[in-house]
Amino acid sequence: MTSAPAVGPLPSVVPPHADRFTLSNGLEVVTVRREVAPIVSAALMIRSGAGNDPPEMSGLASLTAEMLDEGAGTRDALTLADELERLGADLWLGSGRDGSQLSVQAPHDTFFAALDIAGDVLVRPRLTESDWERVLADRKTANAQRRDQPEAVVSVVSDRLLFGDAHPYGRPVEGFSRTLERLHLDDVRAFHQTHWRPNHAFLVVAGAFDEASLRARLEAALGGWTGSPPPEPAASPAWPARPRLCIVDRPGAPQSIVRLVAPGTDRLSPDRPGLAMLNAILGGSFTSRLNFNLREKNGFTYGASSSFAFLRRPGSFAARAAVFAESTAPAVREMLGELRGLHERPVTADEHAKARATLLMRVAEGLATTGGIAASFGDIGLYGLPLDEPLRFVAALERTTADDLRALAARYIDPEAASIVIVGDRAAIEPGLRELGLPAPVICDADGDPL
Amino acid sequence: MPALVPAPMLKIEFETYALANGLRVILHTDRSSPLVAVDLWYHVGSKDEVPGRTGFAHLFEHLMFMGSRHAPYPAFDAIMESWGGHNNGTTSNDRTNYYEIGPRNLLETFLWLEADRLATLPDVITAEELEKQLKVVQNERRQSYENRPYGRAELAIPEAMYPADHPYHWPTIGSHEDLEAATVDDVRAFFDRFYRPSNASLVVAGDFDPAEARALVDRYFGWQPKREPPQRPPHPATPRLAADVEISLTDRVQLPRLRLAWHTPALFAPGDADLDLAAHVLGGGKSSRLYRALVFERRIAQDVFAYQGSQMLSSVFHIGATAKPEHDLAEIGVAIDAEIGRLAAEGPTEAELARARNTHLADFYKGLDHLQTRADLLNHYQNLLGDPDGVGRDVGRYADATRASVRDAFARALAGKRLALQTLPDPVTA
Repeated sequence: MTSAPAVGPLPSVVPPHADRFTLSNGLEVVTVRREVAPIVSAALMIRSGAGNDPPEMSGLASLTAEMLDEGAGTRDALTLADELERLGADLWLGSGRDGSQLSVQAPHDTFFAALDIAGDVLVRPRLTESDWERVLADRKTANAQRRDQPEAVVSVVSDRLLFGDAHPYGRPVEGFSRTLERLHLDDVRAFHQTHWRPNHAFLVVAGAFDEASLRARLEAALGGWTGSPPPEPAASPAWPARPRLCIVDRPGAPQSIVRLVAPGTDRLSPDRPGLAMLNAILGGSFTSRLNFNLREKNGFTYGASSSFAFLRRPGSFAARAAVFAESTAPAVREMLGELRGLHERPVTADEHAKARATLLMRVAEGLATTGGIAASFGDIGLYGLPLDEPLRFVAALERTTADDLRALAARYIDPEAASIVIVGDRAAIEPGLRELGLPAPVICDADGDPL
Repeated sequence: MPALVPAPMLKIEFETYALANGLRVILHTDRSSPLVAVDLWYHVGSKDEVPGRTGFAHLFEHLMFMGSRHAPYPAFDAIMESWGGHNNGTTSNDRTNYYEIGPRNLLETFLWLEADRLATLPDVITAEELEKQLKVVQNERRQSYENRPYGRAELAIPEAMYPADHPYHWPTIGSHEDLEAATVDDVRAFFDRFYRPSNASLVVAGDFDPAEARALVDRYFGWQPKREPPQRPPHPATPRLAADVEISLTDRVQLPRLRLAWHTPALFAPGDADLDLAAHVLGGGKSSRLYRALVFERRIAQDVFAYQGSQMLSSVFHIGATAKPEHDLAEIGVAIDAEIGRLAAEGPTEAELARARNTHLADFYKGLDHLQTRADLLNHYQNLLGDPDGVGRDVGRYADATRASVRDAFARALAGKRLALQTLPDPVTA
């Protein structure tokens, strides 16, 4: 009772069995059974997202997704919502950087009825002017409200600085107020026509679905959906020069939202499993170096973390914390210090073992719910990965050594390359930042435009 | 009209027993993935605090990670994370929970860590550790309320709804003043009073052998001494507002928001489920009455919501709406009142009731898919009903609701006095 009990070997992670078939219109379908609860989740992934927005039309992909369920087939917007609720079904539409998504989750006895409605949404959206005016006005207001949320502001400004205005990831998925002004319903119709195509999509169905009739019901709901894939998007521009320090002033703010950003890598990079492990050590777990330093040792924050965004094009590396306003400069110093620390105090054997176990169990937990299975396999479809990707990822975690992690740290973690973006009370924090030896800040508004 | 009937999968299998020291143990096996969850509830929340020492139950949740005699700080997190486990805790007005999730080979470690901190935490807690966690909690308060849009309203509503001597008057996070006044002696006294096996329930869920789990629970918790459950003050009088209350505050926001609140029956009391359904009819999703009227048709609101905030001693029914630019809260208030009046007079339609009931049931199914949610539900029913077997009773409340019962519960509750709180953009900082 007084000493820690012995711990047996980690259980192996066995991803669930997945079946694959293709509908007559070319849509790839993957199915995974899970019978713990009487629900079915379906995720239809479109391989175009905000990254396909023309620069002056930022916000188009996500508005297109949002418009699709504003009436479809024989139902207007409210009737459609009403019927889905009667079925106990959730329908969700949205876009990310690399993809757009239509998801349905429903009890197993109403899933096919919900699927029929989802088929209308996908193939026969009404896209009327009246609905468009309302949805666009709501989006414009929501964008104005972004200024209320310092965490959202820091994300927009960081991405804009890191990727630059010429890069599709430099613009927020939701768009800027000025780009929303330029959008018209015809743009939505064209985006839907071009990108929401069965040869450019991937469907996952997970849960307690009726196996015998699934294929026929999918053919009935989606078989009439046709078209060819869109043209390839343009290549990414180079990383632009960026300021070392940027502040978005929030006078009187009790906390500063601090973000350090630097270039990362892409979703298909062979370095991804190792970087995920390295990140668990740096800022991707409670006992990570960043959280332990900033929260536990110094009490600067409720939590500090880091992450890599592994996207179709190389994404970002980011370290983040919301800190006491008066702790801003010391927090920045410690965050930079922990990035440097990966070189000065290389990854230990214990940290390596922790990172491996953490990532292995994250795979297991991610596949332990119906929604998680749909999301995991949806990601596989979005990036065109093989169906046994979870097993390959597990194998890569198993063979990545502590030395590999040290080598990755040398290649990817550079405190001098990081831009520091802070949303906080400029007058209160700027003197301390100057004492750290940082250059004078660029002062931006909430959209990242220099003032 | 499809009516969703509870399917065979709508249950949580479990076995339960009590140790001699009073610890309630609930075992739920699910071998579909190689994971275990340990979920330990202490039947103490901010409702058990006293004025001047608010925020204590929640502060305690933080102190529980500061090490115990045989697992000194930071062993609790370090050991479990080294094997891919993770953990957290949550505190509400009514209870505190601690949970660990990880690979099945960590079950014994989880039980050892939980048992050791229950047995020894007050022996090792120091003023330095307390000081450090106070700072973390003060940052949590800033992050979750003070630096979050409309966060000030969340702090002001319970304060206005409940009198100063009612334990729902203060927020779970506490006040900065009270947190700073906390001493190590306060911590020991609070622990001594509430952290007892007889005041806790332990759920073990996931991939394990029940006989082995029983032996492990016995080994780590069985030796701990029996002590009576804590004495609690008598239930405070059912709160009521003597008159309508109007409050106006400013926050760092672009748009004004109106919040309305009424006192309603406690969790599981007659009318609680009816009000949950009424909230859905009013503000749940795009086909709800308020969304349709204020957002979709008249386009005077950016968002609307309604919910029955159910709690053990008494509940609050909430309605909220944010005005669109160029519209004001007076206009919003009139429109909401019209919908309230209509629902109170006529009740929901049959179709609306079916929709609300089916949505509720579907959400319940979704929760059942998740191991930790199942573990928490078993503890929730144990805490509330003294019996983990609550799924049928809980879902039955919604199946039994009728148009008349929803109308009556809604009309009765909303005939009472109400709080109307406006959050207006701060002209200086917004």
